Parts: sequence; C-alpha cells; structure tokens
Amino acid sequence: MSNKSAYSFIYKMRIQKALAYRFDVFANIIFQCIAMFATAFFWKAIYSGYDSVQGAGVYDMLTYTVISAVMSILFVTTVEFKLMESVKKGTVAMDMLKPVPLFSIYFFEDLGNITSLFFINGLPILLIGSLFIGMPLPADGVSAALFFVSLLMSFFINWFFAALFSLLSFVTINMSPLIQVKKHILRLLSGSIIPVWFFPEWAQGILGALPFVYIYQLPLDLYIGRYTLQTAMPKLTIQLVWLVILSGSFYAAEKSMTKKVMVQGG
Amino acid sequence: MDTIVVKNLKKEYKIAQKEKGLAGAVKNLFVRKYEILRAVDDISFTIPKGEITAFIGPNGAGKSTTVKMMSGILVPTSGDILINGRNPQKDRVHVVQDLGVVFGQRTQLNWDLRLGESFEMMRHIYKIPKAMYEENLKVMDDILGIEEIINIPVRQLSLGQRMRGDLVAAMLHSPSVLFLDEPTIGLDVEGKYAIRKFIKEINRVKGTTIILTTHDLGDIEELCKRLIIINKGKIVEDGPLEELVNRIAPNRNLVVEYYDENYVEHEQAKIINVEGNIVTYQFSKKEITGAGLICDISDRAKIKDATIKEVKIDDIIRIAYRG
Ligand SMILES: Nc1ncnc2c1ncn2[C@@H]1O[C@H](COP(=O)(O)OP(=O)(O)O)[C@@H](O)[C@H]1O
Ligand SMILES: [Mg+2]
Repeated sequence: MSNKSAYSFIYKMRIQKALAYRFDVFANIIFQCIAMFATAFFWKAIYSGYDSVQGAGVYDMLTYTVISAVMSILFVTTVEFKLMESVKKGTVAMDMLKPVPLFSIYFFEDLGNITSLFFINGLPILLIGSLFIGMPLPADGVSAALFFVSLLMSFFINWFFAALFSLLSFVTINMSPLIQVKKHILRLLSGSIIPVWFFPEWAQGILGALPFVYIYQLPLDLYIGRYTLQTAMPKLTIQLVWLVILSGSFYAAEKSMTKKVMVQGG
Repeated sequence: MDTIVVKNLKKEYKIAQKEKGLAGAVKNLFVRKYEILRAVDDISFTIPKGEITAFIGPNGAGKSTTVKMMSGILVPTSGDILINGRNPQKDRVHVVQDLGVVFGQRTQLNWDLRLGESFEMMRHIYKIPKAMYEENLKVMDDILGIEEIINIPVRQLSLGQRMRGDLVAAMLHSPSVLFLDEPTIGLDVEGKYAIRKFIKEINRVKGTTIILTTHDLGDIEELCKRLIIINKGKIVEDGPLEELVNRIAPNRNLVVEYYDENYVEHEQAKIINVEGNIVTYQFSKKEITGAGLICDISDRAKIKDATIKEVKIDDIIRIAYRG
C-alpha cells in the first residue's frame, strides 16, 4: 500500500463529509448569490451611460463577477483551521510525524471538500448567475485555454499561501480572527470583486507586485479576453514564479517548524 | 535483547522569560531572555520484552517528556534511546511501525469522523493490511466492546469511550511496544476497569511491552510488576512494587483481639498499642511471617480475631517521592 491509497481514502471521505452538511450548502449558496447580485448591480449602475470603462464593457464585468463567484468556491481552504486545531489540541507533534505527511493529508482533505463544494455550490451559483445576470462565456477559445492554465496555477498559489499562513498557528495564540482577516484581505487585494485596473495608478503598482492578483484577477482577465497569447505569456510566467516562491517558502517554513516543534515540544 | 534501552537521557527546555507590564511587553518584542529547565535529568533504564512497567511521579516530574522522547516526537538534549534496537528520532519510520502511543489527554482520533471512519483513516495512513486490521479490531472488540460505539462521531464520545477508541487506534497495526501516558486520567470506575482489562489482555495475548504513566495507584497494583518512580527529572526508585514496599516499610502491624485483657508477648514482635482486649503488634516481615506470628500467639492464648494491617501504597509512594 502506498500513500496514494491514503490520499484517495481521505479525498473520498471529505467529499462524503462535505455533502452531509446540507444546511451549510443552502446558506452558502444564498450568501454567495447575494454578494454576486450586489456586485452585478454595482457594475450595471457604474456602466449606465458608458459603453466601456478601462477597456472592458458591462458584459465583460458581469461575466467577471459570475466567474469570480464560482472561483471563490474552488479557493475554499480548511488547512488553516486544521493546523490550528491540531496545535490547540496538542497533537501536532504526533500529527506531523505520521507516516503520511500532514500537509498532504490536509491538501487532499481540501481537494475533497472543494470537489463536493463545486457540485453543490459552484454549479448552482453558475446556473443562477447565467440565468439572472448573463451567460458568462469566455471571449474566445484561446482565452478559455489560457484561463484554465492560469486557474490551475491560481489554485496552487492560493493553497500554498493558505498553508504558509496556517503555520502562524505556531506563533500566535489567537489564530481564528487572523484567518478571517486574511480571507477578506485576499479577496479585496486579488481583484476578485473590483479588478485592480479600476484602482489608482499607485495602488495598481503595489498590488501588481503582490501575489494576490495572480489568484483571481489574472485568470479572470484572461477569461474576458484582455490578453492575447503573446501578452499573456509574461503574466503567466510571473504567476509561475509566484507559485514557485510560495510553495518553496512553504516547504522551507514547514521544515523549520517541524524541527522547532521537535525541540521545544508540541 | 531488551526491547527498550534508555541511557543517560536528558531534556532541557528553553523557556522565554516574559517581563510584565506594557513596557515589558514592548521589551519582549526585541530582547528575549531564556531560562533553561531540565525536565529529564540523566535517566537510564532497560525494559525486557513483554513487561508492563509503570512510571509514576508528581506532576511535572518529567514522565510525559520521557514518553515523548521515546516516541520520537521530541528530540533529547542528550542521551540514547533504542526501541527494538532502533533510534526513534533517526529511524522514526521503522520505529513507529512497531510502536503504539496514546496520550490520555489528547486524542489522536479525527474529530470530524465517526469512530469507525477514524480507524479506517488509520488503516490507510499506517498502511495496515486489511486482514490484520479486521483481526485486530475483532480481538479488541472482544475486550473493549468497540462495536457499540463504532458509528458515533468522535466529538460525541464520552471520555471513557474516547479513551477506548484511542487504545484501539494505537493497537490497530499490531505494535509490539505500547506507550500510554496517563491512560486512566479522568475516567470513572467502569472506565478504569475497562482500560486495565485491555492492558492486561493485550499484554497476555500479544506479549506487548507496555510502559504507562499514571497517578492511579490502582493501576500499578493491578497491572505492573515493575515500578519506576521519577521525581524532578530523576529516577528515584526502580524495581518491583513488592520490593519497594518491603524496603520502605519493612514492618507490619498485627491487631489481635483477645477474649479478655490477658494478652501474650512475642520475642519477634513489639507491642505498640493496647486497648482493652485489643493489642497491636509490630513485626518485621524479614523476621517472621504474619501467619507464623498468629500461629505462635494462638498457641499461647485464646484469640478471637487477628488482622494484618497492610501498609497503604499511597504512603509508600509519598515516602519514595521525598527520596
Ligand atoms: N514544551 C515545553 N516547554 C517548556 N517546558 C515544558 C514543556 N513540556 C513540559 N515542560 C516542563 O517540563 C517539566 C516536566 O513536564 P512533564 O514531562 O509534562 O511532566 P509530567 O508528565 O511528569 O507531569 C515540567 O516542569 C513542565 O512544566
Ligand atoms: Mg504528564
């Protein structure tokens, strides 16, 4: 038996567990839809009287809004809570030294969770958005292909960022408010609600230098066709660099934390 | 070969000194002073295969620290540990395959899952062959009655049920060595009984080498031939309980009830109290047995009743702690 069997067990178990929380499902769909509709109305109001702002039409912005809402489902992470619990319970030293790497377990738990969330939350939101806001179609085939490539990297950037962030559990006593703050800051700074190109020049400069726009905005921009194959390449390269930086920092930090726990006691 | 060998084991914790007050809090951000706490101070022992050994000692004595180092989750400051000939830090992957660990105060079961699902998770993580897993589950169900709680979510289990679950989880992969850190803590009489039965049965049936730490003297009397008493990070006693009791308290009291106030004396016993027709003799177990003494006395006078007062283990342990 290899670790694969453990991962596939964990993955399936999580899908099953996420499906069991039916109340959460409805509450979440309703909440997400309210946010999506509010944003859509906001764009419609802004665009009344304009055909295009910053090179994007109102239809682009509605598509952006719906796809962003669906993407937020794929970026749900529980790794921060899981590690926090493990540290609080005092089992983290034991957990970190299981025959299967702890963070791999967390990753597959998240993957299972997201899989079921996609079907029970993401698809309904996509359907509701398509019916009441507008069919969110990609600009063209190339845009769609670039979007999926970028989305895959976004997914990992988001997860590794969450995993890196979770390690704060070792240094802070009160982790849960930090997790909430991180969640909201990330959504704000990543252009998931308002694309960065609506921000003033200086803010764009700062946000462009941070990894967050490579989580939401880049794939969304690609989707609505703001880049050609040529202009997309440098952006995707930077995204890849961020992925390498974040995953690398995570592995290094995790290794040093494990060592610290083994010397100082969990 | 001894299953467990611990030699000159030491552990020092570095503790950050925090200064009080607002000024202190700001200062703490920049300069940290550390104090060294020696939690385990040069302990050595060996444990042969199949033995049940108890670690006892007051809170903060260093028992859990020792168990953590032996389990490979804490790095010793110095000293050597061998479990089945292997070092648990350097060769952790192999060591854990033959080692089960339970910390009574911290469950290793998965809170979100049902007990049975949590076991299944262990099966996959520890790569336990299905046949072995099922066989072990059955054996342990016979002892602990796990079947009736297998579908309860772990977060809803009572402390006693959770403890049973943790014990089963630790034994699913048939380890030959089991460490239990305060397995009976907080349990009611029924719960303690179940855990003790489990420990005895597992040791008898599978020959598992077991180390447990406890504050419960009942655990020791029922389970262990050998006792290691730790205080302030040092081993102060190591040996069979009986030996310890005989050494610390070599004398016993015999209370004899006569029919009247005419009592007899005995050359190997000292009379320490007389109350009407009830006389208390003190004797040394090395010189004469209780039965021998009763025999002699009843030869010389008519007696109504005789009871030997056993010493209280509590008192013995308390004396041992003092060193
Ligand atoms: N992670 C830690 N960091 C600092 N000090 C610790 C840590 N764990 C235990 N100690 C200290 O080490 C000593 C021994 O603790 P422990 O091994 O838990 O004792 P016991 O299990 O016998 O009650 C205590 O003084 C305790 O406060
Ligand atoms: Mg302890």
